[in-house]
Amino acid sequence: MTAPLLDVHDLVVRYKARGLFAAPSKPAVDRVSLSLPAGSTLGIVGESGSGKSSLLRAVLRLVPVESGSITLDGQDWLAIHGPALRHARHSIGFVAQNPFLSLSPRLTIAQILAEPLLARGDKPGAAMQDRMALLLSRCGLPPDFLARRARELSGGQAQRVSIARALALNPRLLVLDEPTSALDVSVQAQILNLLMDLKADFGLSMLFVTHNLKVVAHLADQLMVMRGGSVVESGATARVMSAPQQVYTRELMGFGRRA
Amino acid sequence: MTLLDIQGLSVTIPSPAGPVQAVRRIDLNIAKGEIHGLIGESGCGKTMTGMALLGLAPAGAQVAARVFQFDGIDLAKSADALRGRRIALISQDPAAALNPVLTIGRQMDDVLRTHTLQPKADRTAAAVALLAATGLPDAAKLLKRYPHQLSGGMQQRVVIAQALATGADFLIADEPTTALDVTVGAQVLALLRQLVADRGLTVLMITHDMDVVAAVCDRATVLYAGLSVETGPASAILTRPRHPYTAALLAALPDAAPHGQRLAAIDGQVPASTKPISGCAFSPRCPAAMTLCHTVPPPARVRGDHRWACHVAEDAP
Ligand SMILES: Nc1ncnc2c1ncn2[C@@H]1O[C@H](COP(=O)(O)OP(=O)(O)OP(=O)(O)O)[C@@H](O)[C@H]1O
Ligand SMILES: Nc1ncnc2c1ncn2[C@@H]1O[C@H](COP(=O)(O)OP(=O)(O)OP(=O)(O)O)[C@@H](O)[C@H]1O
Ligand code: SF4
Ligand SMILES: [Mg+2]
Ligand SMILES: [Mg+2]
Repeated sequence: MTAPLLDVHDLVVRYKARGLFAAPSKPAVDRVSLSLPAGSTLGIVGESGSGKSSLLRAVLRLVPVESGSITLDGQDWLAIHGPALRHARHSIGFVAQNPFLSLSPRLTIAQILAEPLLARGDKPGAAMQDRMALLLSRCGLPPDFLARRARELSGGQAQRVSIARALALNPRLLVLDEPTSALDVSVQAQILNLLMDLKADFGLSMLFVTHNLKVVAHLADQLMVMRGGSVVESGATARVMSAPQQVYTRELMGFGRRA
Repeated sequence: MTLLDIQGLSVTIPSPAGPVQAVRRIDLNIAKGEIHGLIGESGCGKTMTGMALLGLAPAGAQVAARVFQFDGIDLAKSADALRGRRIALISQDPAAALNPVLTIGRQMDDVLRTHTLQPKADRTAAAVALLAATGLPDAAKLLKRYPHQLSGGMQQRVVIAQALATGADFLIADEPTTALDVTVGAQVLALLRQLVADRGLTVLMITHDMDVVAAVCDRATVLYAGLSVETGPASAILTRPRHPYTAALLAALPDAAPHGQRLAAIDGQVPASTKPISGCAFSPRCPAAMTLCHTVPPPARVRGDHRWACHVAEDAP
């Protein structure tokens, strides 16, 4: 067995309580453990406030971790700080829910894709143009989109650009927070197909957060159901879908909906 | 008995880029006591259809229809009078529908005062009864609460109680569960269904979610580019769609393909609402399109209580 790409153990994330004398708040992520083999996709579902985004933010090192450990590619991920962290973060790509909020409307697609490349120290020029055109084509967009502005894109096109940007630095791990929740069913199908292609062609590993169990079940190898900061159920997708152990998982699947 | 009868509704909104055909030609027929789904992707005219029924189309908009009747009353003349009396709106965002600085009790009483001649004590009792009817626990205590002290699901129940307080018998629910958690949304849908059964309400359920249609709708109408393309029993629409667009929409759902298999995405985009449509609106994207589809508008086809518009003649029953 090869070591997992990402290993999270007993992770606790707690936001500061407001006010000087406020009691310590309940943890947003409460002793969560997960293991993601390279090339595999873990789907994370759960109700609003269950801690899904907080877990992702901890993996992205955007919020402090109270206790527990995160191992990424064999390294103690929480021990990396400062400039080393800025560089190490390149190994994770991030895609957010609303492509229009995460892309500056007035920038061209070329400017948006160049940002991470320039930050890494790449020099502008023909090689960078080629790299950006390649990123777009991987995401199903023609190179003439480089000259377009973000505000001129449809929702599906904008989300493709977000994914292209997340892939710019060849991350080994892609972290997606509700990437299709703002999109129509037909556009959602395009994005899910794109993610399945990227997984097959480049062996990309993914953490995919959503509240829609059916969406994530389609491409996840493993599913994890969260509630109140904790994992209430996890396992192989087929197992969780065919024999959910928890009432809550069954409700999420829509079993409770057929009145 | 038909409660709502709309034929050939159009809503045209002036804009700098030319007139926007928000609704091009929609037929909608809803029987009393029915939950009728209005389905379609973003921008196809669902909300604008609801707004036209409420007399709330944007300023300057042209609303026209061959038939535009609610319970035998001409909506072209009387939509304003019916709104908040017989027709009420339940919107996607309950927090925005409630006044943040007034208590729930005060907001319920404001509605009851304009709709009944009851004295204050009776109105308070009525408010408690209506809140309880929407499944809110401790309804009497709730009167003193402010909207922000309630969860999204509880707020939506208060909005529904307000709609009941107006005495409305026709509810237009515009994506009423989209902003709620899956499980909370399912509870609100169950409540609407129960109210329809108990009080003889009729509901126009605007949604883009086929699970919502499956859970609560008796019948449904599918919109594409401001046109009604198919209407029929919800179960038939979901399991044996007749129009190629409805079929494509269902095939794109993540549970329509086996795990890990490519989904049937629909290529291309919805036509711009500022451009005229030639032939069938779906023809640029339709896998079954023939030459005439691009130039000739499709004929209406009828089989029992199921209607759709397409050049392809359906085959087996
Ligand atoms: N920046 C913050 N400061 C304080 N508390 C926060 C912050 N962000 C989240 N929380 C709290 O942490 C808990 C988990 O929130 P989180 O955003 O991780 O949930 P989620 O599962 O992503 O929910 P959603 O489906 O609504 O996005 C919630 O109780 C939330 O109120
Ligand atoms: N106030 C307005 N002025 C001009 N055009 C408008 C206005 N409101 C809506 N439109 C346009 O009318 C068309 C129909 O919009 P509508 O809001 O009815 O769509 P919808 O089916 O409710 O979509 P969604 O699922 O996104 O809510 C769209 O092309 C939209 O851009
Ligand atoms: S009329 Fe033609 S293009 Fe339109 S849905 Fe039918 S087959 Fe497709
Ligand atoms: Mg979140
Ligand atoms: Mg709408």
